[in-house]
Amino acid sequence: MQSITLTVNGKSYTRDVEPRMLLVDFIRNALGLTGTNIACDTSQCGACTIHMDGMAVKSCTVLAVQADGADITTIEGLATNGHLHPMQQAFWDQHGLQCGYCTPGMIMAAAKLVENNPGITEAEIRHGLEGNLCRCTGYQNIVKAVAQAAAAGS
Amino acid sequence: MMRAVGSTLSRVDVVDKVAGVAQYPGDIDLPGQLWMKVVFAGIPHAQINALNVDRARAAPGVVAVLTAADVPVNEYGLIIPDQPVLCGPGSTPTAAHVRWEADQIALVVAATKAQAEAAAQLIEVDYTPLPVITDPLAALAPDAPRIHANLPDNVLYSYRIRRGHMESAFAQADVIVESEYRTHAQEHAYLQPEAGLAFVRDDGRIEVIIAGQWMHEDRQQIAHALGLPEEQIVVRYPAIGGAFGGREDMSLQIVLALAAWKTGRPIKTIWSREESIVGHHKRHPFIFKAKWGATKAGKVVAAQMDVISDAGGYMYTSNKVLGNALVACLGPYDIPNVHVDARTVLTNNCPGGAFRGFGGPQGHFAAEMQMTKLAAALGMDPVELRLQNVLRDGALLPTQSVVPPGCTAAETLEEAARRGGWMQSADGRWQRAAHAPSIQSAAGPQASARQTSLDASRRRIATGVGIAVCYKNVGFSLGFPEHCYAKVELYGEAEIEKAVVSCLGADVGQGAHTAFLQIAADALNLPPERIELQVEHTDITGSSGSASASRLTFMAGHAIQGAAAGALQEWQHEERPARCEFVFHPRPTTMYDPETGVADPSVTYGYCAQYAEVAVDLDTGHVEVTRLVSVNDVGKAINPQLVEGQIEGAAAQAIGWTLLENFIQKDGRTLTPHLSNYLIPGVLDIADVIEPVILEIPDPQGPLGLRGMAEMPMIPTAPAIAAAIHNATGIWIDQLPIVPERMWTALQAQNGA
Ligand code: FES
Ligand code: FES
Repeated sequence: MQSITLTVNGKSYTRDVEPRMLLVDFIRNALGLTGTNIACDTSQCGACTIHMDGMAVKSCTVLAVQADGADITTIEGLATNGHLHPMQQAFWDQHGLQCGYCTPGMIMAAAKLVENNPGITEAEIRHGLEGNLCRCTGYQNIVKAVAQAAAAGS
Repeated sequence: MMRAVGSTLSRVDVVDKVAGVAQYPGDIDLPGQLWMKVVFAGIPHAQINALNVDRARAAPGVVAVLTAADVPVNEYGLIIPDQPVLCGPGSTPTAAHVRWEADQIALVVAATKAQAEAAAQLIEVDYTPLPVITDPLAALAPDAPRIHANLPDNVLYSYRIRRGHMESAFAQADVIVESEYRTHAQEHAYLQPEAGLAFVRDDGRIEVIIAGQWMHEDRQQIAHALGLPEEQIVVRYPAIGGAFGGREDMSLQIVLALAAWKTGRPIKTIWSREESIVGHHKRHPFIFKAKWGATKAGKVVAAQMDVISDAGGYMYTSNKVLGNALVACLGPYDIPNVHVDARTVLTNNCPGGAFRGFGGPQGHFAAEMQMTKLAAALGMDPVELRLQNVLRDGALLPTQSVVPPGCTAAETLEEAARRGGWMQSADGRWQRAAHAPSIQSAAGPQASARQTSLDASRRRIATGVGIAVCYKNVGFSLGFPEHCYAKVELYGEAEIEKAVVSCLGADVGQGAHTAFLQIAADALNLPPERIELQVEHTDITGSSGSASASRLTFMAGHAIQGAAAGALQEWQHEERPARCEFVFHPRPTTMYDPETGVADPSVTYGYCAQYAEVAVDLDTGHVEVTRLVSVNDVGKAINPQLVEGQIEGAAAQAIGWTLLENFIQKDGRTLTPHLSNYLIPGVLDIADVIEPVILEIPDPQGPLGLRGMAEMPMIPTAPAIAAAIHNATGIWIDQLPIVPERMWTALQAQNGA
């Protein structure tokens, strides 16, 4: 066991973790934040995407101990003061989800994408979301949602 | 008041889903819960002589290890109970026989996941391996080993159609096209892997929280295996992370309930992606031998089909899928002479079962390829040939019953054709300025988001166009007692303040609950905000049937309207609260006659036509769909945004099935158990090419005229793409998937020829 301290959605946590524990399991099981999903065992799907120190990362590719000292945001922490983040609103408006299982990861990846590239083009949106799988929507409305949020932010 | 039906009302679950608070089965925990590891056989065909779980039972943290001997009634199955819940000795005579690598043989229940997994490694199995059958044709050989002792020829089910006189019909034909088509297995790859939680409630009943497609059917199968009355079981569906037919059969339902019942503790498990892909059924692979004939005038006079599907080791829904393929393989056409023999055959492959389209995509691939080839052989336009033969109101189905009124195969095809550049000339004939297959550099207009590492200017790309049309039954067919419950309760004094609407159709992501709300709002003339939906568990009302067969909005729509009308009547009679529970029964259907296939098979049908443009890389064999127009007659779009979402999602799955997804098994073992080797389309594989087009030609039987629609856009895609590939390259690809290797090999053969 190893002790780690990290900030998640603005709150500081100190926990003992197994050195082999994945960050996604820490977030889901130790902190009970189950909005971050797991959909694969090969880092393919992006359902587990979170923000860690300002970057969108697949939390199944990070060990919990590697997140010691990190500042993390999960889907549950994206809204502020009861207001949905523009990316969450855009997924709502554009019907960018069906079953919703890919949605938290998709929104987290897309939010960073747009933040890092405010004038993002449609082709750039597609390239940026290459690492996030959705089985329900055919992606059409997801791309529209990200474009809406980008337009709203600029 | 604004009508709710036809509006793009937000999904009822949208806020929870974008905020990350929607709870899927794996997100739910209970105090004192244990973790269950399901142990697979890991060998595709064997007899289990002995199963020693002593060491596993003694391992740290282990509370129980359950085997076949612990299952009260060790059998299950959606259609027939031909599968052991747990394979192994000490149970029924057939339960010691492993027929599939993912047959479940033991349940290890421990305090933690790690302990359960470690203990599972300690189980010792004494197997006698049996010869593995992986080819359905080999399974039909007289000396093939039997998969089930009671089926000596390994034929699980068969149907046939006999209509007209084949010999004279073929003699009449000016052209005859003969081909063999093969379609492949498809993995559902719903993003949420199987997961669930079961516990014994304070009232002594067992509750199972799981993602499924038909909670009453889950309840029935759980109760049967546990030897308990159905009332003893409660099934609850929280948010469901996709289904597509893949949750129609049991995965964890029974074993979770069993472990909770045996231990008295809450039991949880979540499958990994690998367990999910190895552990549940797939779309059936099919082989079609086709011989069709047509006259110069463009009348298809005869169609002969020999159809074989690979059922895997158990029934699942193989007979039903075969029943659909029996008519799907003839396409939506009025063909006077038809001869079909269809069999579903046992092997040791992964079982075939329900997957969006349910035999429709497979059957129509063969049928529509035949039509495209006949058109080419006749020198006729493929749209014109289809329109000359297409089913229209009053025509007979191959089963010799009249097609249910409201047949719009022609209308969908015409709209797809128009959007694809066809025109109707003055004499009424449809034609398209011949697409000159062009070879061009990729840097031109065909440049796409997906670039290979090749220098773009050096790529040689051939482009082509194709079209196909389909129909698909709505609702359970072939005499199944189709029905759907709904309940409405109205509260208030002078006016209705609140309505509670109950209907237990599963929202697997398609948005069914939102559609229920919209239909209820208009039926009650209330704003949606004043309606509360109760949709979560089996205690609420009777069965609504499955979220499958494109049936749910159709059947539930009727049921909700019926319950609403009944409750409003009670309200008039001053009942407070006013209540009505209503069961909708559609018109009955009938089973195929065993000799001739004569039947009135389905309640009604939905129709879809698609036009595809492709770019074929002549050097790598990569095929890219650059445009896909999907025209769907949905009768009435209850929520156009949700309908478009279904079309886009289905078309993406269909593009994946056609070009990319390649489920590979060798000697009965899955070689593609991860999303890293079973590839599903990513955003770059689909690009911005899907154009959903909604037609609203009412179905006279549909509530508000609506038609089922969720499967149809999965169906014509493969033959439309294959037609476009032929248009581009002159090559017929008769076997799916059209992965680059297959395309490249065909291009090489063409160059060598
Ligand atoms: S769960 Fe992390 S990428 Fe799939
Ligand atoms: S909405 Fe179901 S996986 Fe994306």
